Order: sequence, then structure tokens, then C-alpha cells
Amino acid sequence: MHELGVVLEVVKTVEKIYEERHLSKIDTLVLQIGELSSMIPKYVEACYPAAVDGTVLENTHLVIEVLPGNGFCTSCKKVFNVLQNKGKCPCCGTNKFDLLGGREFFIKEIVAC
Amino acid sequence: MENFKILNIKQSVFENNDRDADKLREELKGKGVYLLNLMSSPGAGKTTTLTKTINALKDDFRIGVMEADIDSDVDARTISQTGARVIQLHTGGMCHLDADMTRQGLYGLSTDELDLIFLENVGNLVCPAEFDTGATKNAMILSVPEGDDKPLKYPLMFTICDALLINKIDAAPFFNFDFEACAARAKKLNPNIKIFPVSAKTGEGMEAFYAWLRGEVSQYRAAIGK
Repeated sequence: MHELGVVLEVVKTVEKIYEERHLSKIDTLVLQIGELSSMIPKYVEACYPAAVDGTVLENTHLVIEVLPGNGFCTSCKKVFNVLQNKGKCPCCGTNKFDLLGGREFFIKEIVAC
Repeated sequence: MENFKILNIKQSVFENNDRDADKLREELKGKGVYLLNLMSSPGAGKTTTLTKTINALKDDFRIGVMEADIDSDVDARTISQTGARVIQLHTGGMCHLDADMTRQGLYGLSTDELDLIFLENVGNLVCPAEFDTGATKNAMILSVPEGDDKPLKYPLMFTICDALLINKIDAAPFFNFDFEACAARAKKLNPNIKIFPVSAKTGEGMEAFYAWLRGEVSQYRAAIGK
């Protein structure tokens, strides 16, 4: 469970945005987590209340959007989900592909006033 | 009802740290200091490798060490016997160091009159790979008992490292460690990774690592005119 350290980094980033944009209250934080990143949404949710305690994010809602880990097959040019197909193109069976996404860990939006 | 609106941020969580790390790398260049971030699982032999390396290179470079651990100062005590300048950093429960913590550590250690600084990161193959410390280069140690499948399990760590030491080769007869498979897996993730099979305990293979590091630091210092 290394999510706590990373969520603390989220808090730091949001605190900076809070200052820069002169926000007064945050309602919801929306994160985007790629399914191939090393972050597990369940654990991010579990440690969120503790990580945000005493910060501008205390008592806010957390929404997590999971982004798919998609690959682009370099031989047959098909886009496929890397996890579901265990890293092999379901069309031609090769394991050579360009990763289109899935490693992201983004702060997507903040709902605030 | 408060007037909430949606602010579009779309910012990578690691972006602040990445920017800070780039800044720290430039600061180190300005000072002519080469910082090597050394990572591994707990017990892979970071401290033994460092002790041997410092003893081998201490006539070539002025060396400092930052020991990062969650708690205790046992590693700092061991390293201080080499005569290198050493500081113990406590991460306060955190499983990694970020660029800001590294900068504070460097401030505590003082980079004055040092050419080469080792950062012994927290023993962990996951988080330290995510957080750029601002080091000039990254090296990792994988020890034979851990198994040759680690590049498959912790791909990011092998991707970001410039050098991989495969340690405890003296114990190889007792384990089923396939060196070729391990090297192939690491190279697939990172074609430029330099691989050094070593035994920090017996010294076998260490000369190749010392030579690489000597070359690295000399080139770095020449490039910035030191």
C-alpha cells in the first residue's frame, strides 16, 4: 500500500491550486487513474480521508475515473485492451504494440467555489 | 447553496515533483556534484555495496552519502566507518523520497567540497520509481535470492534505472536465478540499462561497476567544465 504517499502528493498539488485560484471551498476532487498505473483505486479511496485530514480537502468527495490501458498493435493496427488480452493482440496474436494510455495518474477536475 | 463550479485541472500528480527534480538536477550541475540515487528492495545489499564502492573510489572523488530510512541510523553508522560524510534522513513513515526531501537532505549534508553523493533510497521497488529525486543518475540492486522475475513484476523501476547491479552472485549456486533471462527482461524494458553481476561481499564483478561510475562522474564533471 504505497497509495498514501502519493495521495499526500495530490493534497500538495491541490493546496497549490487552491491558493493560485483563490478558492474558498472545495466540494469534489476528480482523479483519473490508468488501469496500468501502480495505483489501486480501492486503496486510494481507503486512505483519502486520512490523507486529507486537516487540509483544504477535508470532508470533500472523491471521484475516481479509471482510464483503460489500451495498446495499438504495430502489425495489424488494431486497438485492444492490454489487460483483458494479456498483452497480446486478439487479432494477430503478436505482443508488439504501442501503449496508448493506462499509466496516467491525473487530477482531472476540482469542483469548488 | 454555494456556487460551485468545475475547474478543469488535468495535471499529472507527479508533475510538481518532476519539475522540482529537474530544477534540483540543474542546481547540482551548477555545483559540480554528481548524485547517484541507489534503490533496491530491503536486504538486497545497498549498504554493503556502498561501503565497498566508497572504499574503492575515495581516492578519486570526495564522497558524501545520504541514508534514507523510515527509522533508525544503523546504515549511517555503518557508512560513517568509511570516512565519507554521511547524513541520515528519516522519511517519517513515507516509503520514498521526493525531490524536495532530497534537496533538504543535501542542504543538511552540505554539498561543499563533494564530487559524488550517493542517495541510499528507502528499500522498496515501487514508490521510489514513481518519484524523481533529482539525482543525476539512478541505479538499482537486485539480489539473486529475490529472483530473476523482478523486471516483470516491477517494470517501472527497471525502466528508470541507468545501471542494474545483480548482487549476491556468490549465492547463485543455491538459487535458480537465470541471469540471461533476467538481463533480457531488463533490456526489453530499458535497452540502455547497464548490467553488472556482482558480489558486494566477495568483491567479484565490482571493478566493472567502479569503472562505470568513475567514467560517469569524470564525464559529468568534464561536461560542466570542472
